[in-house]
Amino acid sequence: MTALATTVTETLRYRGKVGQWAWVLHRLTGLGVIVFLILHVVDTSWAAFYPSDYEQAIREYQSPLFTIGEFFLVASVVFHALNGLRIVTLDYKPEWWRYQERATLLVFALTLLVLVPTFAVMLDHTVAFYTSDRDIATLDEIVQTQSLFVMGFVVILVVALALSGLYGLVTRSSQGVKLSGGWEATLWTYMRVSGVLILPLVFGHLVLMHILQGVFDIAGVPELEVVGTNAINQSGTAVEFVGARWNALLAGVAVWRIYDGLLLALAAIHGFNGLRYIVNDYARSVWVNRALNWAIFFGVIALIVVGAAALIAGADETAYKLATDMLSSVQ
Amino acid sequence: MQVTLRIRRFNPEKDQKPYWADYTLDNVEPTDRVLELLHRVKWEQDGTLSFRRSCAHGVCGSDGMRINGMNRLACKVLVNTLGEGDALTIQIEPLLGLRVIKDLIVDMEPFFEHYRSVMPYFVNDDPPPEDGRERLQSPEDRERFDDTTKCILCACCTTSCPSFWANQDYLGPAAIVQAHRFIFDSRDHAAEERLKILAETDGVWRCRTIYNCTMACPREIEVTRAIGEVKLAIARGSVE
Ligand code: HEM
Ligand code: HEM
Ligand code: FES
Repeated sequence: MTALATTVTETLRYRGKVGQWAWVLHRLTGLGVIVFLILHVVDTSWAAFYPSDYEQAIREYQSPLFTIGEFFLVASVVFHALNGLRIVTLDYKPEWWRYQERATLLVFALTLLVLVPTFAVMLDHTVAFYTSDRDIATLDEIVQTQSLFVMGFVVILVVALALSGLYGLVTRSSQGVKLSGGWEATLWTYMRVSGVLILPLVFGHLVLMHILQGVFDIAGVPELEVVGTNAINQSGTAVEFVGARWNALLAGVAVWRIYDGLLLALAAIHGFNGLRYIVNDYARSVWVNRALNWAIFFGVIALIVVGAAALIAGADETAYKLATDMLSSVQ
Repeated sequence: MQVTLRIRRFNPEKDQKPYWADYTLDNVEPTDRVLELLHRVKWEQDGTLSFRRSCAHGVCGSDGMRINGMNRLACKVLVNTLGEGDALTIQIEPLLGLRVIKDLIVDMEPFFEHYRSVMPYFVNDDPPPEDGRERLQSPEDRERFDDTTKCILCACCTTSCPSFWANQDYLGPAAIVQAHRFIFDSRDHAAEERLKILAETDGVWRCRTIYNCTMACPREIEVTRAIGEVKLAIARGSVE
């Protein structure tokens, strides 16, 4: 923890230039997005496995707390993506370093340029939603469901710490987790390549989920034509919305499943490896370092398995029915 | 003009923890260097103030310190680059990430250990040329690593890096600059070994292209660029 405390206080005290602040923001936004992604993929898998829980999750995403969070999320993704492009460019053209300051200012400007109209549209959706007489999840409901996630994280951490402690006792190892140079180089390249590939995928995803239709359209809008498909959301449930997208075929190919699968794999590995960079910077105690590295390694596998299983399983009429029942029970 | 030096002081034999001490100096010329002000404090006001310096001309690299929030050499910073007016406060503290031995003196040993770990010496076991003279190199080949020959090992870059603040196992910019100087030397034969050392977790990959090091370098070495070139050499598995 001292490593983290020193970094925070001294980053504030050191008179670094704009590059230092871009790094702080890149790290914070990356961290924010990966935490969201973990919740998001687990939630989304419920559309396939626990339809009524998915319905509840989307109800909660439509509540004020998450609406605010959504603005931060979109801002984070946009800044991280554009700044990521700057980093990638300078990595492959190190001799262009003299432009790094101007490039960073350009990233800030472009981020604003993208965010202003995006926020305007999102605000429009938001105002329309909150001025309608739609049903909104209460804070109690949110605390109830989301505390499960917090507990989940705590359990994973405690288990990882305990295992790491045991391992330390048995093997007397004083090494943190270190990958070989070959792996480090591969992952470095992966971060760059995946970043460039994620960019259009995630921007596309956000255009669908925030601009064309919003979180507020996923559930509760009867007879809505689901974005990116020809299907009508008959039941107005979130589960049917997702099911319709996953079942949509273009020339016999389930394009949205492939799209989601690509985004899932690319972003999960990118985000968890980013998490590893952060952990290896600040978790200096061997015991904690090993625990967190293990949690990251198994975490990324688990997340991809859960997400892929949901994409393969999909959602059908039975699931829509369960979701409808759940909705009528809360209303 | 009048200058107040706010200096971060610490004597482990008697202080519980570091503290700030103020020293006021009159008749300071705007063209005085910060090192001269430190001398005046030590010689006129408080002989216990400790700092390193040797050449006083930006060559030996002993007096790297954090001046007004940025790492620089006290012997290269003129007062007038830090501010104007009749009264000025200048804040001085030791480099961060290395243990403070006393006042502005830090333990450079871990820094030099990283330096030594990248084989910062010429390796070529071929017999020397027949005529008994030097191994020749074209001007272009010499130019390739010219920039990184300028390093004076003052540690300003390494201790300006947030990755190094968090984790002193990171080799740091200076060691990578020194490695670059030999990796890209056409006469040297150990590039591969050095790249292997630098590819480890605590090698180049800890660099997050923050550019604090480039800004801090008193010799204006293109530090982040050199690190970037080493990263690319490792990722591509070849030196160009
Ligand atoms: C609040 C903003 C977001 C909303 C409302 C949203 C909504 C959705 C919805 C409804 C689905 C279901 C599948 C579909 O319709 O295609 C989905 C899937 C997915 N989303 Fe998002 N999304 C958001 C942000 C993000 C972001 C920022 C990322 C990437 C970092 C992301 C990554 C994914 C992935 C990987 C899947 C597939 C999950 C699986 O395999 O089960 N989403 N999202
Ligand atoms: C949208 C396109 C994206 C691009 C172009 C991109 C680019 C990058 C790059 C180049 C890095 C390496 C930074 C460095 O080594 O200094 C990075 C780090 C990171 N990225 Fe992304 N990224 C993108 C999306 C995402 C997403 C969706 C997530 C979360 C799931 C994410 C999470 C992270 C994290 C946690 C780090 C580590 C930050 C650090 O070490 O300071 N990124 N990103
Ligand atoms: S005293 Fe030698 S570099 Fe400043």
